[in-house]
Amino acid sequence: MQKPSDEVLIAYLDGELDAERADEVAAAIASDPTLAREVQALGETGAALRAAFDDVLHEPVPDRLLAAARGELDGEKVVKFPDSRKRSATQPAAGWQHWAALPVAASVACLIFGGGVGYFVATQSPIGVAVQPQEQAVAASSNWLDNVAGYHKMLVNAGPNDTALVDIPADPQSAGGHKLALPQDFHLPDLKPWGLAYQGGRVLFIEGRPATQLFYTTDNKALGPVTVVVASTSLPDKAPKPEQRGDINMLWWCHHGHEYAVVGTANLGYLWNIHNDLAWQLDAI
Amino acid sequence: MPQGNKANPDPLSVRQAGSSDPAASGFRPVSARFSDQLVAVLPRLRRFARGLTGSAVEADDLVQAACERALTREHQFQEGTRFDSWMFRIVQTIWIDQIRARDVRKEEPETEAERIGSDESVRRVEARLALVEVRLALKELPPEQRAALLLVTVDGLSYKEAAAVAEVPVGTIMSRLARARVALQAKVGGGRGSKNDAEAKR
Repeated sequence: MQKPSDEVLIAYLDGELDAERADEVAAAIASDPTLAREVQALGETGAALRAAFDDVLHEPVPDRLLAAARGELDGEKVVKFPDSRKRSATQPAAGWQHWAALPVAASVACLIFGGGVGYFVATQSPIGVAVQPQEQAVAASSNWLDNVAGYHKMLVNAGPNDTALVDIPADPQSAGGHKLALPQDFHLPDLKPWGLAYQGGRVLFIEGRPATQLFYTTDNKALGPVTVVVASTSLPDKAPKPEQRGDINMLWWCHHGHEYAVVGTANLGYLWNIHNDLAWQLDAI
Repeated sequence: MPQGNKANPDPLSVRQAGSSDPAASGFRPVSARFSDQLVAVLPRLRRFARGLTGSAVEADDLVQAACERALTREHQFQEGTRFDSWMFRIVQTIWIDQIRARDVRKEEPETEAERIGSDESVRRVEARLALVEVRLALKELPPEQRAALLLVTVDGLSYKEAAAVAEVPVGTIMSRLARARVALQAKVGGGRGSKNDAEAKR
């Protein structure tokens, strides 16, 4: 097969090709190691780009912009909101703690109760520019996994001692008044049988949706750290699917309105065992 | 001016813009639903604008200008169409107007350097630097490629949606994205060679 053009390769990565064309590109990639490396590098660049701007979503929105959005700017003057101002369900709070709490609440609530708890970004669906759910779903899952792999790398590079990256410490006592803690009724997946010790969690916004990243480490350097990412999704149930981004292996699946990813540099067999355990534990909750 | 809202007698569904003196500030009723949608999309608008401008301050100025323009054109928004896409289009339009008017495309990266605190661990700084490198590489791309990348790769819009925002055919978006991704990879990942750098300028 002729080498796909850059446009086709990028469209493949973005999930914009129809199934037949995507299969052709996948076959070309599988048969050409050079092309595979090229595609992998392009995917990593995309993930890096998303990571480079992700923190903007977590920043508090300046009062002047909130005022502007509500038509409350008077000339150059910024209107200050009184403390008692009622916030709508879709209005982001000014503080980062509130911003962070929303995704935690949504993710954890989804995890525990299995309900369709969503967040405004995920649920706003004015149409107009025609929305094509299937196309979006394919693109979204690919982008989502790019991000998941990128966040895994970022956390591993930072290391478990860099508490600045951890929103949910393993030890609630170390919260220090400004960190988040998992609710008491949240049953954290126990991966000790696999030699994995929970080090903390992180609140993420991936593809505009809240997600929770749980960080586990092991003394076995051959296995390396493992992260587990959980988010709510509108995708139907999907069987575990192996994915790879660079040296990162992932198992990704959807179950009852949530998508999960087990992420690490360990081989897929090891991740598969962890997936089995996780699936059992999460179903048992 | 949203005529429909003027007659709305429900005080909860209409907010009055500007000062308390309608005559002094120019009465501008804003529907609660409209402004709620606007507030909800602000974080994504800020991210989009940050990528376009490369500057936090300039980005927020851009978003503020977009909010003000949106409020004056509320009547042009069609219910049932995507509000976020509409706002992205406004942000991009204002930004392009600014570029044309001022011929200013870049800002020195002092804002990036300021964000790297001296008390961070070495690893974290390195991770930050990698992200800074990506942001700086993005700023070197032509504006239309930058916008396409931000809409599709960062914000997750489909090609069709991004094409609607940029008001160009889907094929143009594909072309811009491919050039941008390859050029970006060459800049930050030492990827494919200078041929693509040259093509990226097209």
